[in-house]
Amino acid sequence: MSQQATLTVEHLSVSYDAGDTPLRAVRDVSFSIAPGEAYGLIGESGSGKTTVAFAMMNYLRGGRIEGGRILLQGQPIQDLPKSELRQIRGNKVAMVYQDPMSSLNPGIRVGEQIAEALRYHGIADRAGARARAVRLLADVNLPDPEAMVDRYPHQLSGGQQQRIVIAMALACEPDLVIMDEPTTGLDVTTEAVILDLIRELRHKINASILFISHNIAVVAKVCDRVGVLYAGELVEEGRVAEVIRRPKHPYTVGLVASMPSGTDRSQRLASIKGSLPDLTKVPQGCIFADRCLISRDVCLAERPPAIEVGPAHISRCLFPDEAQDVIQKAEARVVAPARAAGPAETVMHIDDLKLWYTRRRGLRVWHKPQPVRAVNGVTLDIEAGRTLAVVGESGSGKSTLARCVVGLVPPTGGAIEFHGERLGGRARQRGVKTRQRIQIIFQNPESALNPQRTVGEIIARPLKLYNCVEPSRIDERVAELMKAVNLPARYASRYPHQLSGGEKQRVSIARVLGTEPDLIICDEPTSALDISVQAAVLNALSDLQARHGLSYMFISHDLGVVRYISDRVAVMYLGVVVETGPTEAVFKAPHHPYTESLVAALPDLSGNGEKPEVRLQGTPPSPTARIKGCVFASRCPRKVGAICETTPPPVQNLADGRKLACHIPVDELARLQGAVPAVAVG
Amino acid sequence: MQAIELILRRVVLMIVILFAVSFLTFLIVHVLPGDVANAILGDLATPDQVELVRQRMGLNEPVLLRYWHWVTAFASGDFGMSLAYNTPIAPLVFERLANSVILALISLAVAVPISVALGVLAAMYQGSIIDRIITGTVVLFFALPEYVVALMLILIFSIWLGWLPGSSLIPPGGSVLANFPAIVLPVTVVTVGMLAYLSQVTRASMVAALRANYVRTADLKGLPGYIVVVKHALRNAMLPALVEIGLNFGYTLGGLVIVETVFSYAGIGQLLMMAVQSRDIPTIQAVVIVIAAAYGIGNLIADVISIALNPKLRT
Ligand code: SF4
Ligand code: SF4
Repeated sequence: MSQQATLTVEHLSVSYDAGDTPLRAVRDVSFSIAPGEAYGLIGESGSGKTTVAFAMMNYLRGGRIEGGRILLQGQPIQDLPKSELRQIRGNKVAMVYQDPMSSLNPGIRVGEQIAEALRYHGIADRAGARARAVRLLADVNLPDPEAMVDRYPHQLSGGQQQRIVIAMALACEPDLVIMDEPTTGLDVTTEAVILDLIRELRHKINASILFISHNIAVVAKVCDRVGVLYAGELVEEGRVAEVIRRPKHPYTVGLVASMPSGTDRSQRLASIKGSLPDLTKVPQGCIFADRCLISRDVCLAERPPAIEVGPAHISRCLFPDEAQDVIQKAEARVVAPARAAGPAETVMHIDDLKLWYTRRRGLRVWHKPQPVRAVNGVTLDIEAGRTLAVVGESGSGKSTLARCVVGLVPPTGGAIEFHGERLGGRARQRGVKTRQRIQIIFQNPESALNPQRTVGEIIARPLKLYNCVEPSRIDERVAELMKAVNLPARYASRYPHQLSGGEKQRVSIARVLGTEPDLIICDEPTSALDISVQAAVLNALSDLQARHGLSYMFISHDLGVVRYISDRVAVMYLGVVVETGPTEAVFKAPHHPYTESLVAALPDLSGNGEKPEVRLQGTPPSPTARIKGCVFASRCPRKVGAICETTPPPVQNLADGRKLACHIPVDELARLQGAVPAVAVG
Repeated sequence: MQAIELILRRVVLMIVILFAVSFLTFLIVHVLPGDVANAILGDLATPDQVELVRQRMGLNEPVLLRYWHWVTAFASGDFGMSLAYNTPIAPLVFERLANSVILALISLAVAVPISVALGVLAAMYQGSIIDRIITGTVVLFFALPEYVVALMLILIFSIWLGWLPGSSLIPPGGSVLANFPAIVLPVTVVTVGMLAYLSQVTRASMVAALRANYVRTADLKGLPGYIVVVKHALRNAMLPALVEIGLNFGYTLGGLVIVETVFSYAGIGQLLMMAVQSRDIPTIQAVVIVIAAAYGIGNLIADVISIALNPKLRT
């Protein structure tokens, strides 16, 4: 290995101005990437991973490189003048961004956005650059590249936009491609195809990759080595498989254990308690000490050195061999509630629910607008004391369904029965008692909590509103509720902005618990949270269910979370439930072709496991399209022919309680999927 | 397709608005308490004179019928007779309108490039001394009423220096363009008034564009700075700015009243002033509607431009 590294980062430190004392976002980070290697940098929000990414381009808005060196093929770049930097940017080092939509210029054709870099770096003339743009679009598997170059970004889907951004990055054949959360924000199935593409391109392009992500499973899929960043320090580094299998730093251990996918549901997720240290006053000892369950006094004395814990595996923990112990020590384990098999009482029955709406657009002269069929005939049961998950990608109608159930939008068809009683469409048509018993938790705790009120006041409010307890007992009840979601009592006098995201979400849970609901609708309650924090929220939800027999309707796009939290799952596509059944059964052998592609898209920690994979191409049809046959027909990899487009598929009932809508008989599906044949009944 | 529909919709909307404006002006004049004929003639009128005016204006008919006559005549280009000038109103209004449009267009032609340049400069060096000088000066001018600027300019350039005429009186039948020096000062006043607003609008949308992720993308492609600013940022920033300019065009026409009066410039604003002073109600009505129409057309042009520039609506 005398070959020169593509990128070497030596003792990099970056600070931002933040009032009197600078915020020391990145401190003493060193790593290097060999030619052709893919290096993953993992961290949660506030870890400094994006700062590191942009530092590689010497592009830090408001930030300064305080120390250390960044060597690109041996050449230091941190002090280069602007003109020389320009020679490197886009040419030797290129970048793929999170959120492709905003990263592409809305007013310029995509081909030109690729070609201009080639021209300004003197690689090709006008005609040559365009020809090369067409070829690049073909390389990233975009259909009809000749026509594609003349499109504008808004005419493409999110996945296609990200392919354009990737093509743009590869245009000048850079030595290093930095990918900053390239699949975050994309749908699962789109993420899967983009990751496939990145893996495929790795062999073609011969560039090194610095891959930034918060998701270990994603990194496992594309990278050779990984570095774990915590609060601006690189705490562990090694080969991906090794780090996942034998993490040697308590933080990494917690991170891996808090990933819901792969955790079986009788186990608790290991959450990491506490929150990031204040980086304007960096402690002198181990940066993780205040959250580490095995810390001792020596840890506080000075920063642990990088210890070699295995071949090419280092950890900045003084006790790497005890790191695994934090799992045992993580909160007293509550044995997950024994899930009573067999039938349970039905709390809510949703019958053929429809929500259509028409986008009103002023004076429509000639054609009658088609309604958006957001929810188009959904029938579901929610069982007492259990969790029904509704999964689907963006535009599947799952959130609209949730809003219908709580009465935020009245449905345009069908019925909702709650304990056998038919509910009014709007919340205010329902009795106070009913409203009290059906509650909702939203995705974004930031906007759901009144910033002017203290945590105590926020939790007390519904208690007063619904007269849940006598006024004299309110404080007592607030304290109980806070305890129920593991919030320390002293938080009662704090304001939401003083809390972390996970804590805020626990406040919103405590708030809805006050009314003693039977049913809580959780609308993507953890999507805005970091993985380690998500674990704490999910644990709180399962505990409460076990203790109070709550029923949940859990809306999510994250299959890992769904598999962990739910008993039954309903898979939605384009306003319709295509498959429903017991969660484990559905995940073990997904039969409906859409469920199959969803599950296949889920990156798992086992890394490059080569299972036969189905990939979804294209995008869902417009929600205003009138579909006669199967909703999934336009993208179905197993489509059998015209019948799929002309006739609605029959619902097939399986012995394990599953239902799925497909023209292919389920035995045939199972055979095609190489799974154990399922037994159809009826 | 979508674009055409959008434009059509705006046109329909404009027509609806014009009807509303015409009906309102009609109502205000004819239905408000007090006799119109008396109002026109003043307190010293004899009953015979009043009756004559009433007949000439058709004031004895029912209101809706009168409105109908008036609108149909208006639509066919017959705006009625001016009571003050005793000539048909239509040619008068159109001649004045043409003069005002010339003044407005020349002012826009001067103001737009200058304000875009100033706005871009201020945005690029946001927070720096350059930004502060530009913004400060421009806001200072904005704070000064138009007549103050006008009088200052007249004082300096026509009375002290004697370089330019202080009044823009144009001999009847003479073209504005043939009397170029006469319009330099009015154009300057209008430009100064527009500059503040337009440059701040450009600055704001440019600041937003420069912060956008696609500008970061362009930067990290290694493109030269001027390409990043002009091709990537300015192009997108111009869209909101142009809409503002279109809106401003209508506003300018309406706001010309003061400038035209100060410089005795024979524009539509000045016509309105004179009509009001001489209680020439038919002329007031005609001018108000024409100004409303000009306002609407200005907006429409801005819409069409922004639709043409917006790739999302071009398809
Ligand atoms: S050095 Fe100490 S505090 Fe830091 S991670 Fe290791 S055991 Fe925990
Ligand atoms: S009905 Fe046809 S299109 Fe729909 S899922 Fe089954 S095979 Fe695919």
